[in-house]
Amino acid sequence: MFQILTIARRELASLFYSPIAYVVLGLFALGTAMIFFMFFAPGAAASLVGVNSGLMWLMIFLVPAISMRLISEEFRNGTIETLMTSPISDAQVIVGKWLGAMGFLVTLLVPLMILTAVLAFTSKPDWGPIFTGFLGLICVGGLFLAIGTFASAVTQNQIIAFLLTVFIICMLTILMYFLTGASFVPNKLIPAVYYINPMERFADFNKGVLDLPTVIYFVSVKALFLFMAVKVLESRRWR
Amino acid sequence: MIAVNNLVKWYGPNLAVDHLTFEIPRGQIVGFLGPNGAGKSTTLRMLTGYLPPTSGTATIDGQDILTASHEARRRIGYLPESTPLYPEMRVEEYLHYRGQLMGMSRGDRKKRIDVVCDRCSLTPVRRRLIGHLSKGNRQRVGLAQALLHNPPVLILDEPTAGLDPNQINAVRGLIHELKDQHTVLLSTHILPEVEKSADRVLIIARGRIVAQGTPQELLQQVTAGAKVVVEVNAPQADVKSRLEALPAVSQVHTQEAEGWTLATVTPAEGGDIRQLLGQAVLDNRWVLREMRYETATLEQYFIQITAQQYQAPAEAAASA
Repeated sequence: MFQILTIARRELASLFYSPIAYVVLGLFALGTAMIFFMFFAPGAAASLVGVNSGLMWLMIFLVPAISMRLISEEFRNGTIETLMTSPISDAQVIVGKWLGAMGFLVTLLVPLMILTAVLAFTSKPDWGPIFTGFLGLICVGGLFLAIGTFASAVTQNQIIAFLLTVFIICMLTILMYFLTGASFVPNKLIPAVYYINPMERFADFNKGVLDLPTVIYFVSVKALFLFMAVKVLESRRWR
Repeated sequence: MIAVNNLVKWYGPNLAVDHLTFEIPRGQIVGFLGPNGAGKSTTLRMLTGYLPPTSGTATIDGQDILTASHEARRRIGYLPESTPLYPEMRVEEYLHYRGQLMGMSRGDRKKRIDVVCDRCSLTPVRRRLIGHLSKGNRQRVGLAQALLHNPPVLILDEPTAGLDPNQINAVRGLIHELKDQHTVLLSTHILPEVEKSADRVLIIARGRIVAQGTPQELLQQVTAGAKVVVEVNAPQADVKSRLEALPAVSQVHTQEAEGWTLATVTPAEGGDIRQLLGQAVLDNRWVLREMRYETATLEQYFIQITAQQYQAPAEAAASA
């Protein structure tokens, strides 16, 4: 556990050293503000529901930019060799790196926190949905990061890792939306299609509902992608 | 301390390591020599747990590298060939990070970092970014992180590659200091280094051990043997005939050097014939300008032994 935190801390510090982090932070802050002010109008509801949904779409493209270098950078530097010959398991490496990236994700949400304060000063928002909304954003972001960690482990090329992450996320979201309307999908499968889609799952968080199936969904899908990342990393040893 | 038994590694259809077996007792410095592509780095990577062997076993201090991998890794300080480091970290930061990964406590880490920085002469650059260090300093940081947790075994893959002669001397001195407290397995193809610092030498070519022993033992097997070179002021033919007449001399090769004769004398039985030659020079009333004893070098032995490996497949192809 202690070693997982060591790796996470180093990864977080290293993320802030690279210029990509600041580009992403800047773009995300800009995007947050723009989306916020689209919904922030006199007479509008004092909630962040629309903002959160918008932010999720923004995350689809900005979060993979953070995760793309997680494992690929180690291979490029050659430091994967010292990492994998240390007395730590591959699982500890993957989870540590993912946690470090999660720390960065929380920083990404700071502009939103500031804007929430603005909302609080100008209206009387319902705090329940706002908290679960934040939680939901962190869950979804964590899911995207887990997918990104897997993609980063699969290839040494950061651009490919980025595109692979975006591709997988789109498969889970956009494709699923497409399938709900498609005629060749049997009716019995439609609820399953809705279930897999993280956007739909997030809608629960947005409403202020903390539902066990939703939590299980996020935890298990994150665990799946992190597990696959560990296996991919281990398999590099066989080659 | 390090026990390797029938280690084999296939990279797809290529056999990189072919049933390697050797043992290294505690406190020895062993030089691991071989031409490029012989399987040195592969063997070291298997020992440190980076690659799994295709078959065979190895133990480090009794810990099996497959079944007790983490325990084995804890006992090794490894410096990989490319000395990988994080350019965005400072030297001290990086050493703290490595210490934490090795499971050292905070107090332990602080003490050891001071000790290790002192030994590797890193104290002036402790707070510098690794990306701003010269190659020599980077190599020292790599060595420092290998020494940090005071491991009983040190595995160094080409620790002096790319260093200037001063730095090579410094690293050699450092390795010599480690001698009795640590077991060192040093891979290199800079032979003079090994001749001076190693207790034992293992020569590997095409995945197999082709020779092992102390440097002295190996040198005695050099068929070229020791020669004496004499420079005198006499006609070549004269020098040649008179020296070859001596019973202890097997062959004399002469050449002209600025009006003097340079004679390379091969002894018949590999003994020291300098005294004999000195006497011959006096007897013949020649003037001596230089007498030089050319000992066999490990390099000659290395070429002799590994060249065979390169010729063999060519001959096999020719005869096939």
